[in-house]
Amino acid sequence: MKRKKQRIGSVVNTIITAMLAFLFLFPVFYAFMSSFKTNGEILKSPMALPSSLNWDNFTYLFQETNFIQAMKNSIIITVVSIVLIILIIPMAAYGIERKRSKATNLIYSLFIAGMMIPFQVYMVPLFKELKTFGIFGTMAAPVVIYIASTASFGVLLYCSFIRGVPKELEESAAIDGYGKMRIFWKIVFPLLKPCTSSMIIINSLSIWNDYLMPSLVLSSETGSTINVEIFSFVDQYTSRWDVVFSGTTCAIIPILIVFICLQKHFIKGIAAGAIKG
Amino acid sequence: MKTKKKMRFDYWTVIFIAPALIFYLLFLIIPAVSSTYYSFTSWNGLDKAMNFVGLANYKELLNPSNTRFIGAMIRTFIVAIAVALGSNIIALILAILVDRIKICKGFFRSAFYIPVLISGIVSGFIWKIMYNTNFGVFNHILSAIGLDQLKNDWLGNPRTALASVILTVLWQGVGYYMIIYLAGLQSVPEELMEAAEMDGATSWKKFWRVTFPMLAGSITINMTLALINGMKVFDQISVMTSGGPGFSTETMTYYIFKVAFGESRQGLGTAASIILFIFILVFNQIQSKALRSREVEM
Repeated sequence: MKRKKQRIGSVVNTIITAMLAFLFLFPVFYAFMSSFKTNGEILKSPMALPSSLNWDNFTYLFQETNFIQAMKNSIIITVVSIVLIILIIPMAAYGIERKRSKATNLIYSLFIAGMMIPFQVYMVPLFKELKTFGIFGTMAAPVVIYIASTASFGVLLYCSFIRGVPKELEESAAIDGYGKMRIFWKIVFPLLKPCTSSMIIINSLSIWNDYLMPSLVLSSETGSTINVEIFSFVDQYTSRWDVVFSGTTCAIIPILIVFICLQKHFIKGIAAGAIKG
Repeated sequence: MKTKKKMRFDYWTVIFIAPALIFYLLFLIIPAVSSTYYSFTSWNGLDKAMNFVGLANYKELLNPSNTRFIGAMIRTFIVAIAVALGSNIIALILAILVDRIKICKGFFRSAFYIPVLISGIVSGFIWKIMYNTNFGVFNHILSAIGLDQLKNDWLGNPRTALASVILTVLWQGVGYYMIIYLAGLQSVPEELMEAAEMDGATSWKKFWRVTFPMLAGSITINMTLALINGMKVFDQISVMTSGGPGFSTETMTYYIFKVAFGESRQGLGTAASIILFIFILVFNQIQSKALRSREVEM
């Protein structure tokens, strides 16, 4: 009797979850479907499947707009920022964590303090500063801003991981004559792999998806990023939703592929990041 | 000996910390601190000179007759609270459902998480089209099931615009909080549940007496994150409504952007951003006190 009740419960549970999952995924399906439709089809029957696999929107997108340049920019900015973040931030956390003193505690608090500061608070002085340095409007601008804005959370996360790494390994390596740099990169850094992968995942996602900052910082010469470009399409092609939808599909597909390949890391990385943070 | 060791260590510490610290100071802390000064000027973003105007910007913003900014503040709170409560309730329900499911667990977990991967601009655009009066999915479904009288210009009607934007923000963020709740649920010890079962607790009781208290930590994290994210909503608003119709969806972040870059009043925009920052700090302080004390109690 109890078994039966449990089984019914489990079936109901599955059905409800499946329905909710369908509702959650619907907007994504809708965007994919619409990117293969003609504009007329999108307007006439929004819920229907496309009548045929129509690639015209994508051809238009790649040939008539700056979308390819924007995709290149998004990739370059994301990759360069992430590489620099992973080169610089774990080192800082290691420096702080392995030499706890008044000075490093103060630096640690300074890093943590930035976590609450929204971009809007410092954007105006920041832009003026970037203009003085002559990097406003270049691809370097978003990169340096991302490094700075990631430092708070990064230092927090890496410090909490480094605390769990036993010092004995480093001490014996020092006896073997390893220098500080070599100890860090050869011995400590590999042990921080879970932390590094969650840093890479969380930050590439937010850099790839960022809109406000690149829309203000990049110039028309360098071209924009994917999200800035899509935003400008919404104004520019008010009557060509099909083109905008193919842009959204191109924005979603790369992240979706990465997500499917690295699913486990994503889930673990998010949970670890939030809990340690 | 001791001093020598300290010296050597400090030199390495500096080399390790300096690169990150330099970037952080130059491109975050220094501009953040100087924005306090900017907020006392009437700078327009272009002129060489910055006119010091004292508290004029703050007076203008907090003047009760400035209904635009007061409205933006109120809407910021509405969005933040709606996002914090809404995402936590939905995320917890989803986490419980997914946790209990036996087949394709990974698939369902991913299904709810996928919207998190999509940018605010892209999801804002997709929902904007779905909300469209004439060609949108929502009105299409309503007329298909014979509820034509409920059809609405969701984003064009000042009474539904903000709620429609909030729904999009919820859809996009819920999966993230669900993952954190799932991790929390998995850390509830099996023995505790079995013991409760032996004592004859119903599933309802088991949830409120065993599972829910064990989730206190996850609730604190999620509430704090969702509240701050709610206060910072920007992308969806800019693509879906640009703050309109009228000012009915203009929150503080959008007001700051509009004033600083649309109206070239960067001094005023910076002052508004400092008020936003103070709100975030206060909100966060109150909340973490309230939630932490509850955690201890349990």
